[in-house]
Amino acid sequence: MTALSASSARRRLFTPVHAGAVVIALLTALPLYWLAASSFKPDAELGSTPPALWPSHPTLDHYRDAFGQYEFARYLANSLLVASLTTLGVLALGLFSGYALARLPMRGKRPILIALLMISVFPTVSVITPLYLIERQIGWLNSYQGLIVPYIAFHLPFAVWILRNYLLRIPFEMEESARIDGAGPTRTVLQIILPQAGPGLFTSGVFTFTAAYTEFLMALTFNSEDAFRTVPVGVALFGAEFEVPYGTIFAGSIAALLPIVVLVLIFRRAVVSGLTSGAVKG
Amino acid sequence: MSFSEIRLSSSGFELGDVGTRNYEALLASTAWRDALTFTVSYTVLSVLIELVLGVLVALVLERLTKARGWMMALLLIPWSMITVVSAQLWSYLYNSAYGALSWLVGLVTDEPPIILGTPVSAFSAILVADVWKTTPFVAIIVLAGLVTIDRSVYEAAEMDGAGAWTTFWRITLPLLRSTLAIAVLFRVLQAFGVFDLPFVLTGGGPGTSTQPLAMLGWKVMFQNLNMGAGAAVAASTALIVFVVCLLCLKAFRSQVAEEDAK
Repeated sequence: MTALSASSARRRLFTPVHAGAVVIALLTALPLYWLAASSFKPDAELGSTPPALWPSHPTLDHYRDAFGQYEFARYLANSLLVASLTTLGVLALGLFSGYALARLPMRGKRPILIALLMISVFPTVSVITPLYLIERQIGWLNSYQGLIVPYIAFHLPFAVWILRNYLLRIPFEMEESARIDGAGPTRTVLQIILPQAGPGLFTSGVFTFTAAYTEFLMALTFNSEDAFRTVPVGVALFGAEFEVPYGTIFAGSIAALLPIVVLVLIFRRAVVSGLTSGAVKG
Repeated sequence: MSFSEIRLSSSGFELGDVGTRNYEALLASTAWRDALTFTVSYTVLSVLIELVLGVLVALVLERLTKARGWMMALLLIPWSMITVVSAQLWSYLYNSAYGALSWLVGLVTDEPPIILGTPVSAFSAILVADVWKTTPFVAIIVLAGLVTIDRSVYEAAEMDGAGAWTTFWRITLPLLRSTLAIAVLFRVLQAFGVFDLPFVLTGGGPGTSTQPLAMLGWKVMFQNLNMGAGAAVAASTALIVFVVCLLCLKAFRSQVAEEDAK
């Protein structure tokens, strides 16, 4: 018995697990480090071989170029605006549909739920032609609503799925007493459910924001004009349209990644629970 | 729409009926078959690799105590990253003149390779970039499944003298089946619609060797302005995805039923 516990204690000190963790951390972090470091390297160092491991003459030139010479500030503002309004719309609609699916008696809930999950990951390209033609017809190409409305439609399903799973956990009694007091479903949602739905709203909110902020295909197709470009479109077309040095692209990228990384890290519990809500609860 | 010839005019568009001609052209075109081949092999390989690595990462994370929170935070960064940004980063790393990765490979092979210049290496380059970004997603889902497994099952296995290897194959993996099924379903759907990564990293090249269905459809629609034919490509993609979905669901459901019956 003592030999056994001694060997297990030694196993805890000798740590293949920790070695694995270090390898994983390095492989994940190195490309991120390279992105950040490169945004501060002067052009000569960006093009040097062997590559410079860190910026020996750090410079803010690339940031100045991205925001001065090129329109990066505008892309960033467009992305923030589109993603925020999409998130608001999705949460408002998602709260009511999630509530309906969680509580109200309804036929065919299971198929609806499965369909929701599928729609949320269906390839965008399969609907882009009709959407493009409709937007062209009604003059929504190169406009904010031209992105926000389809984004809401596309990102709503996953938000509904997450919200429903949260709403199921809210105890029934308060709603019942509200109903006895004569409140209809709409008032019940606004006065009873909304104050308790915080975690669910955060989770689906972070997901929606991230998805809308990083979406590329629709943004590229519908809003190709410089004034309405979002960050992904700007970053993708940067190199294609002008001979833009990688440094400038990276500087702009770092600035664009900051809001989303901060958001995800602050709400990382919410994100992890959202990622796993589909997997575990099923 | 995929059954039509779509004529764009300044005020809108007209649909002309062409029957199944768009689909006949589709099945006959080598571009479509090449794109299908690329998309299928990319989907199968990337999902397989990410599944294996994701399970490994999750197993490591499960055994970490203090550092787990930090590791999760780190893993969430690639997941939340704008794909286009990571594609630009990898294209810099792969650059044949001054990319860090091609320099590293060059140390072994004497001459820095042109990574994005041959079909096989360009394909691998896309795979590596995707694995880096998406393995964390699989790992986090698998980890959530791992922590729900009852400790006592492992203790019983140890009592019976099962080694770590046997325990993993006989106990952990079977108990993770439904979690893995969901992860695979999500990943297959996403991988099948891949667009951003090859669009920025390779532009579908060299030639059209790394052109996925989504990019073929998009190019036909918005660069050649052949909306009907493009819609046919898109619809074929959607149809395949839909069938795969149904198959996954069926497999998933029959397996759940099987477990319930036990």
